[in-house]
Amino acid sequence: MIEVTNLTKHFSGFTAVNALSFQVHTGEVFGLLGPNGAGKTTTLRVLATLLKPDSGTASVAGHDVTKHPETVRNLIGVVNGGMGLYERLTGTEILEYFGSLYGMRKQAVRTRVKALDALLGLGDALTKPAGSFSTGMRQKITIARAVLHEPPVLFFDEATNGLDIIARRAVLEFVKHYAAAGNTIIYSTHVLSEITQLSERVGILYRGELLTQGHPQDVLLQTGTRTLDDAFFTLVSQHDKRHITS
Amino acid sequence: MRLNYVTRVAQKEILSTWRDRRAIISNLLIPLLILPLVMLGLPLIIGGLFQREQSTITELAVSGLEFMPEALQEAIEKENLQLVSVADPLSALQAGAFDLGLIVPAEFKDALANNDTPELELLLKPGSLKSSFNASKLERAVAVFKDALIAERLQGLGLSTGLLSPFEVTQVNASSPAERSSGQLSWLIPFLIAIWTLSGGQMAAIDATAGEKERGTLEALLVSPVRRSEVVLGKFLATLLFGLSAAIMAIIGYVLASSSVRYVANTNLGADAAVITELLGNAMSVGAGAIVLLVMSALLLAGLMAALLISITMFARSFKEAQSYVAPLSMIMILPAVGLQFADLLSLGWLFYTVPILNALLIMDDIVKGSMTLTNLLVCWGCLLGWIIVLLVFAQRSFSREDVIFRS
Repeated sequence: MIEVTNLTKHFSGFTAVNALSFQVHTGEVFGLLGPNGAGKTTTLRVLATLLKPDSGTASVAGHDVTKHPETVRNLIGVVNGGMGLYERLTGTEILEYFGSLYGMRKQAVRTRVKALDALLGLGDALTKPAGSFSTGMRQKITIARAVLHEPPVLFFDEATNGLDIIARRAVLEFVKHYAAAGNTIIYSTHVLSEITQLSERVGILYRGELLTQGHPQDVLLQTGTRTLDDAFFTLVSQHDKRHITS
Repeated sequence: MRLNYVTRVAQKEILSTWRDRRAIISNLLIPLLILPLVMLGLPLIIGGLFQREQSTITELAVSGLEFMPEALQEAIEKENLQLVSVADPLSALQAGAFDLGLIVPAEFKDALANNDTPELELLLKPGSLKSSFNASKLERAVAVFKDALIAERLQGLGLSTGLLSPFEVTQVNASSPAERSSGQLSWLIPFLIAIWTLSGGQMAAIDATAGEKERGTLEALLVSPVRRSEVVLGKFLATLLFGLSAAIMAIIGYVLASSSVRYVANTNLGADAAVITELLGNAMSVGAGAIVLLVMSALLLAGLMAALLISITMFARSFKEAQSYVAPLSMIMILPAVGLQFADLLSLGWLFYTVPILNALLIMDDIVKGSMTLTNLLVCWGCLLGWIIVLLVFAQRSFSREDVIFRS
C-alpha cells in the first residue's frame, strides 16, 4: 500500500531523511518510532505530498506522491499534534468545509458526521466554535476531519502530544478501530508504549536513518533486548559508534 | 483551476473573518462614519467656534485711549471689541490678561488733522488662533475708519473716491460644477477609499495566510485535494471582498455626507460658515455614473491591495509578524495621497496613471472633480489589472514553496 524507496530530503544543508526505504502493507499499522528530529515528520510530509523528496521515491496505493499528488491526497488522511482548527467555526462547519474540499455532497457529509459522532463522541464540539474546545475535543474534531472522506491510508504524527490520559486513550482506540476496518496506518511517535500497543511492525528512525524495521518481537531478537526501550537505545548506541569510528 | 473550490475557500475565509467582531467595526462602521464625521462634523465644530468668537465681546488692551478718535472707537466697538485702557499693553498680553492690544500715540489725532500719517501699533500673538481672529476684527474696524477718513479728505479736495480705484477686477469661478463642488479637500475622498481597501482587507489576508500557519490549519488544508492556486485565489477573493466592502462603506458615507452637508450647514451655521464648509466641499455631489466609476476603481484598488497583502503576509509565521510586514504599506499609501494635494502643480501625463496605487488615487480624484479623461481611466484600470495578475502569480508561486509554507 505504501512504498518508500531511498527517500532523501535536505533542508538548507541539513539532511532530514537519508536513503529511507520501507513498505507498509494494506491493513497494517506501521509504527514509526524515533526521537524529536529523527525525520518522522519529514517522511510523513513527503508521503502527504507537502514536501518533495530530493531523491528516491514514495508511493501510496501505487500512486507516486510527486507525480500524482492530488490522487494521493484523496487517499490519505493526516492527524498531527500541531494541527489546529478554525477558531471561529463550529465543528460541523469545519467538517462541512473539509467535506466540500474532498468533493463530498452536503448530505453525505452529514451522514458521515453522524457516524463519526457515534464513534468518537463529538457531542458539543459540533455546535460550538472551535475556540472554546478542550484539547480532547480539538483532537476528536481533528481526527474526524482526517477520516471524513474515509481514506484507506491514515498518517498519525505525534497525535497524542499534549493530550491527557483519557483523550490519549481515545486516540489509540480509534487507531485500533480504523485499522481493524482494513485501513493502512503509519503511526509516528516518540512514545514507545504506544508503538507496542498499536503496531504490527515498527521502524526505528534516528537522525534521518532507518536503523531497523520489522515486527517488535523480531526487533527484540535482533538487538538481544527484552523491551523496545532497550532495543531503541542499543540501536542508537550502535549507530553513534559507527559514525564516530567512520 | 476549479472555480467551485475557489469559492469554497473564499466562503470559509469570509465566514471566519465575518465572525470576528473587530472585522465588522473596522470594515463597516468606521469607514461608514468617518467621512460624515469629517465633512459634517468639522464645518459644524469649526464654524460654531468661529461664530461664537465673532459674537463674543473681547477685551482690547489700549494705551492712549484718550488720543483715539471717536469714530475709530465706534468702529472697533461694532466688531464686539471692548476697549480697556491699560498703561502697558505689551506686558498685559505677555501676562495673558489680553489676546490683543493697541498703542495709540499721543499725537495721533493732531497728525490726522494735519494730513500726516501717524502709526497705530497692533499687538497680537500670531501663534494664537483667538488672538489672530480678534486681530482680523480690529483690522476690519480700522479699515472702516480709514476708508471714511480717505473719503472725507477727498471730498475736502473736491475729488471723487473713485479716483483711488480706476477699475475693478472681478473673479469668475470657471471650474466645472463637479470641480466647484468638490472643495479643496476632495483628495481626501480617494485617500480614504485607498486606506479602507488596505485596512479592510488586512485582517482577512493575515487571518487567511499567517493566521493559518500560526493556528496549524494550513497543513490540513494543503493535504486536502484543493490545489495551491485555488487556495490562493480563494483567499484573494475573500480579502478583496473585505477591502471592497470597507471602501464601499466609505463611499456610502461620502454620498450621505455630501448630500446632507449643505443642509446641515445652512440650518446650523448660516452665511458665516459658508467659507469653511466650501473649503471642505460643502456642495460635494457626484452623479450615478461617477459613483459607478468610483466603485469600479475602488474594486481594482481593492484587488491590488488584496493581491499585495496575500503576497506579503504569506511569508509571515504569525499574525504579529504579518502585521509588522503590512504596517509600512499604510505609509506607502500616505505618500501619494499627500502628493495628490499638489497634483494641480504638475502636468500629469498618462504615465502617472501607470504607477500602482498613485494611479488609482489620481483617477478617483479626477472622478470626484469631474476632470477624468477616458485615456487616463483605461490606462489606470489596465495597469491595476496587470499588477493584480503579476502579484497573484507571485503569490501562487510563493505558496508552492516549501520554505514559505513551512517557514519556522
